[in-house]
Amino acid sequence: MTGARQALVLDELRGVLAEVTGRDELRAIPAGTALFGPPVALDSLTGTRLLREVRQRFGVDVAAEDLNLDALATLGTLASFVASRSELPSGRP
Amino acid sequence: MLTVPPAGCVDVWWLDICTVAVGRGELAELSLEEHKRAASFAFRADRRRYTAAHVMLRRVLSGYLDIPPSSLVFRREPCPRCGKPTGRPALPFGYGVHFSLAHSGDAVVIAVASQSVGVDVEQQPSGCVCALSGDMNEADAEWGRALGEAARHDLVIRWWVRAEAVLKCTGEGIGHGIGSFPVLGSPDGPPGPAVPGGPEQLMAATVVHGCSLISLPAPGGYQAALALAGQASSVRLAVRAPWSSGRRRTARA
Repeated sequence: MTGARQALVLDELRGVLAEVTGRDELRAIPAGTALFGPPVALDSLTGTRLLREVRQRFGVDVAAEDLNLDALATLGTLASFVASRSELPSGRP
Repeated sequence: MLTVPPAGCVDVWWLDICTVAVGRGELAELSLEEHKRAASFAFRADRRRYTAAHVMLRRVLSGYLDIPPSSLVFRREPCPRCGKPTGRPALPFGYGVHFSLAHSGDAVVIAVASQSVGVDVEQQPSGCVCALSGDMNEADAEWGRALGEAARHDLVIRWWVRAEAVLKCTGEGIGHGIGSFPVLGSPDGPPGPAVPGGPEQLMAATVVHGCSLISLPAPGGYQAALALAGQASSVRLAVRAPWSSGRRRTARA
């Protein structure tokens, strides 16, 4: 896994987050931001939509593969987990 | 002092966070834990939503218990599935008051009953929610197949609030999966707008997973559901605070 690949996934995930929450400010959150509860306040519906989108776009079922859901701790850990198990997002170089 | 609803009955309080003043007096009613959690939100709107909801929860419960809002202590019940401390938020043993809190967008809804209760509200989300159909119980998903896109989005959110209300009532939460039982019963639409306060209404319920489940009349653009522990075929609903949008008013930060 390269840093460039993880950065691409990170960028794509920020876009997914902004899309499922309808909140553009989430396009700029740092990789270390916690996803559930504070500080970005993802509720259960948006969290589930995020995982569904990740499965569709990257082919990675986070809930099935990471039983403790450690991957969901922060945006960065989710990006690392997805980047290590997926092809690049569709339509990306 | 408010009377705790008898068995089979539930009180519902709707609040618009835009109408809730959150000043020093209100903040003083919250616990240290609630302050810590509020402080950790990155965005002001989330902090305000959380704070307003918890101030109102304490004030509503205080009315039933004759205990000052700031003196209320909450605990977390164990999850009935795995025993971890992730179950229902609850008052101390022996109080005889059960509650459930949900918020989405500007809406906060609080349900109070004398038996376990779960409530959920969701603002119609932005974007397509069809991907969630994959999490639905097969019988529920079937209802959406013949629908156009907008009606399917409505159905998916109706499914979600009904399933989440049941899982909040049982204390399981969605961590153990959300589609293991059907909750729709029929593809009927939501039961209409949030009703004014006043006379109690008897609402036909669907018995699901040990709960009596109803779709709750909700503000425009939102869907809500409520589950009461038990196998009753109806729920008597009293709206103690009707929905009143405060979008045009100035909220004090």
